[in-house]
Amino acid sequence: MPHDVIMPALGMAQDKGVLVAWLKQEGDEVREGDPLFEVETDKATMEVEAQGAGFLIDLRAAEGDSVPVGEIIARIAETAGTPAAKTAPPEDDAADDMSASVPEGRKVIMPALGMAQDTGRIVGWAVAAGDSVSEGDTLFEVETDKATMEVAAECDGYVAAILAEAGDDVPVGETIAVISGTRPEAPVSRGAASEPQAAAPAQAAAPNLSSQPARPPAPIEAGGRILASPKARRLAQERGIDLARLVAAGLAQPFHAADLDRPEAAAPAPRPAMQLATLRLSARAPAAGFDALIGWAEGEGAESGAILAALASGALRETTGAERIAIELRPQGRCLHDADLARPDGHDRDDAETPPTLILRDLTATRLTAIEGGTANLPALTLSRDRDDLVLSLSVDPETMDEALATGLLAGFADRIADPLRQLF
Amino acid sequence: MAKAKTNTDDYLRMYRQMVRIRAFEDQANQLYLSAKMPGLTHMYSGQEAVAVGICEALTPQDHITSTHRGHGHCVAKGAEFKPMFCELLGKAEGYCRGKGGSMHIADQSNGNLGANAIVGGSMGIATGAALSHKMLGDGQVTVCFFGDGATAQGLWYEVMNMAALWKLPVIYACENNGYSEYTRTEEIAAGSITARAEAFGIESFSIDGQDVLAVNRLAQDLVARCRKGEGPFFIELKTYRYHGHHVGDINRDYYRSKEEEAEWKKSRDPITGFGTWLQSEGIVSSDDLVAINDEVRADAEAAVKYALDSAYPDGSEVDMHVYSDTEHALA
Amino acid sequence: MREITLSQAVNEAIAEEMRRDETVFLMGEDVAEAGTPFKITSGLVEEFGTSRVIDTPISEPGFVGLAVGAAMTGTRPLVDLMFGDFLFLVMDQLCNQAAKTHYMSGGKLKVPMVLRTNLGATRRSAAQHSQSLHALVAHIPGLRVALPSSAYEAKGLLKTAIRDDNPVVIFEDKLMYQDKAPVPEEEYLLPFGQANILREGRDVTLIGTSSMVQVCLKAAGLLEAQGISAEVIDPRTIVPLDEATILDSVRKTSRAVVVDEGHRSYGVTAEIAARISEKAFYHLDAPVLRFGAMDVPVPFSPALEDLTVATPDQVAEAAARLCRGEMFHAA
Repeated sequence: MPHDVIMPALGMAQDKGVLVAWLKQEGDEVREGDPLFEVETDKATMEVEAQGAGFLIDLRAAEGDSVPVGEIIARIAETAGTPAAKTAPPEDDAADDMSASVPEGRKVIMPALGMAQDTGRIVGWAVAAGDSVSEGDTLFEVETDKATMEVAAECDGYVAAILAEAGDDVPVGETIAVISGTRPEAPVSRGAASEPQAAAPAQAAAPNLSSQPARPPAPIEAGGRILASPKARRLAQERGIDLARLVAAGLAQPFHAADLDRPEAAAPAPRPAMQLATLRLSARAPAAGFDALIGWAEGEGAESGAILAALASGALRETTGAERIAIELRPQGRCLHDADLARPDGHDRDDAETPPTLILRDLTATRLTAIEGGTANLPALTLSRDRDDLVLSLSVDPETMDEALATGLLAGFADRIADPLRQLF
Repeated sequence: MAKAKTNTDDYLRMYRQMVRIRAFEDQANQLYLSAKMPGLTHMYSGQEAVAVGICEALTPQDHITSTHRGHGHCVAKGAEFKPMFCELLGKAEGYCRGKGGSMHIADQSNGNLGANAIVGGSMGIATGAALSHKMLGDGQVTVCFFGDGATAQGLWYEVMNMAALWKLPVIYACENNGYSEYTRTEEIAAGSITARAEAFGIESFSIDGQDVLAVNRLAQDLVARCRKGEGPFFIELKTYRYHGHHVGDINRDYYRSKEEEAEWKKSRDPITGFGTWLQSEGIVSSDDLVAINDEVRADAEAAVKYALDSAYPDGSEVDMHVYSDTEHALA
Repeated sequence: MREITLSQAVNEAIAEEMRRDETVFLMGEDVAEAGTPFKITSGLVEEFGTSRVIDTPISEPGFVGLAVGAAMTGTRPLVDLMFGDFLFLVMDQLCNQAAKTHYMSGGKLKVPMVLRTNLGATRRSAAQHSQSLHALVAHIPGLRVALPSSAYEAKGLLKTAIRDDNPVVIFEDKLMYQDKAPVPEEEYLLPFGQANILREGRDVTLIGTSSMVQVCLKAAGLLEAQGISAEVIDPRTIVPLDEATILDSVRKTSRAVVVDEGHRSYGVTAEIAARISEKAFYHLDAPVLRFGAMDVPVPFSPALEDLTVATPDQVAEAAARLCRGEMFHAA
């Protein structure tokens, strides 16, 4: 049986989360504990793991969506090839299924009235299909193991459909009536038993009709509370640790003071934080001048990496005024210092000592168009080819390099690569 | 004549002490009925000759233990009106700093070991005090006051046994006022009360508790014998309480008649009787007695006024006197 | 240092105090020539005579009552109550009289008496000779309650109790009377209200009373083998209770197990656990666990009786689970 993947409650007073990225694709096989997606709250960005094994299906939220806590964003099914009808969102399913015969409107469900009640028997209806009702009007009488009680309308409107008859035993949560805002043209009235097809989807829809948002599964259920010792709570407060992080990391509750020293309790991993904070700039320049220079330089025994390093160093020095600049070239792995001041071959500029100032990736020889991350907090300049143009992109940590500097750097580099000869010589 | 002079002083003092008890109780009754006094109280009126007759035979160092009906013992053992009324009203200047009230009122400096609100509860204490005095060899005597109702408590038999075995200087004084709370004593007491003490080999007496001279004479004798190591003794003092078991016990027709009460007041009142005797002996005149009565009543009224105007203990006293060496038990 | 039994230590304490202060006397059932069934007071009557080592009738309320009165009037009685179970017989004298006299008298009267009795099961004595009723008297303000955990403690605490001006109830574990411990020849007193830290530790605080201190020490040894460092605290007196030492320890270790031989419900362990929860809540990394006697009358059969009292293994296991962060009671 598939289970729901929901937007978890991660912050103290959080009511929605931004889906930063899916870490699995639709149809992927997942194991329990596999990171499924990344979510950003007011506090942090973190990965959410699968709570069970199966195939990820029915992705309902897209990257960048802000999703209310408790809402289903995907499901994990036993098989990848689950028929579409079953994997489709149950609510839509029900709505679609019912649209043919049941009018639209607010669904009235069999309420849970007892402590351990799973069905309720409809003793009788106080309204008929087509009737106008006001909030608080008695709709029907229901009998549980404990008592008989009247259930009132929760809104004004018209009884557009009655889907269960007096005497029916109806599972809790199942839709038994619909109240519409406008007078229904063709109000529906039928028994649950006589129309099992209608009842089934309605039952499937029940979880979403509930006004209670689903809660994230916790290792130990305690009415939604995080279980932690008084000392652990006090220390967490003193150290600014959100215990929800430990929940999200899947640590077993109750939490004790020692759990606060575990890595999961530390501030969120730097990578997602970088992504969040990273400043990304891109530029485009005609490739012709650069291609001509490379063609000439290779004939002279120089290599493209050294030339790129020289161009980048020049742009960087002009922007920042730095005295010593080291450029790490990828994928070559070389690191050249002050390449703009050197001979084009760059041979005497190899430098394994100086920490790199900037990472320069040349993807023009590949089909790759972008690489993100992997550069710690260093500025990263990436070069790729798009037909006759070179596409330049710069990622910087705004704390290391502000927007003005980054703009100057990329603009300077674009100018240089568009007319390299003038810049180099 | 010197001896006669002494006797006259003693007689007048006994008369005055009985009048003081009556005046105190009359004021206490009024305080209670006018809702100026918290709690509940048990009137000693009618039994004055017992407390006065016995306590006048004791020194201030001799000990007594008292009961829930203890105002009379307290006055008779030498207490002053002002700290007594203050205690009754729960004021800081009370003998117990307002912590005891009517049922635990006692002037400890005059040898009163406390009024006990557990019926028969002080029998062990009185006997223990006698044990102490015997061990210390100080010649002091202890009198244990209790009512006829308390003779039904097992503790009495345990302590009489030990008192008799160890020849302790204690006098058990049973004020038999005929009623065990709201029940006639005949209904709850089998056999003879004096025979119970006699069973332990304790010399026992039964006496008219309304005759202060008779009570005092017997007490003088027994106290002297106790000091010589001839104790313990038991006295049953036949007496009568004018009020109900407690002040609120108004409708008591079901256990005793108004006629009976009227008869005791008319013909057996200890104060009237002693006053008549004093006059008939030519010791005092009727005017002298009226003057004593008026003076005592004025004293009592003044003391009530003083107590009503005096201060309650500070709230910080609530956890004082729980332990003797700890000023505030909860600090 | 020489080692003597707890029984000898108590005997020495009594003899030393009786030599020091001639107002101290011993009374109880079979305390003189018989030296009590546990032979604790043997030899005292030979030294101090029958006037100060007094055999009483089997009248517990009576002789405890006598002790209260004696204490109020200049002597210092030390009462031997043969079994702690007999406390129920003396409740009025102990709890209504001894405990309240100082307070009810506004601090004027004192009751410097000691009631020596015992506690402890597993002596195959069944339900009326095996109870540990110290919580019963600890509940009553005005009484002090001491629980010696060894011969050394028994001597030092009893001497302090005899010198205390308040009523003190001291409970010895009857199973420890023959247990030896180092006791100095020279005189010493152990203060009331100052807990003893028998063993310092880091991970969990074991608070034990009376013989349960020995259980806690054994448990601490078992825990050490598992790499868990347990602190063991003996409060010595539960009234007054040295709350500060207990709280300081729990704030350090974050975990506490309280072990006492009274019934688990409404008792000493509940009181100590509650104070920890109230005053060190934010330092607790685990629930406070309690071990008391099982809430059943103490059974006779060894097969059953041994189940009713905490063992070192049980205490160690529970403490280890606490330290492992295991959840004891799911939400």
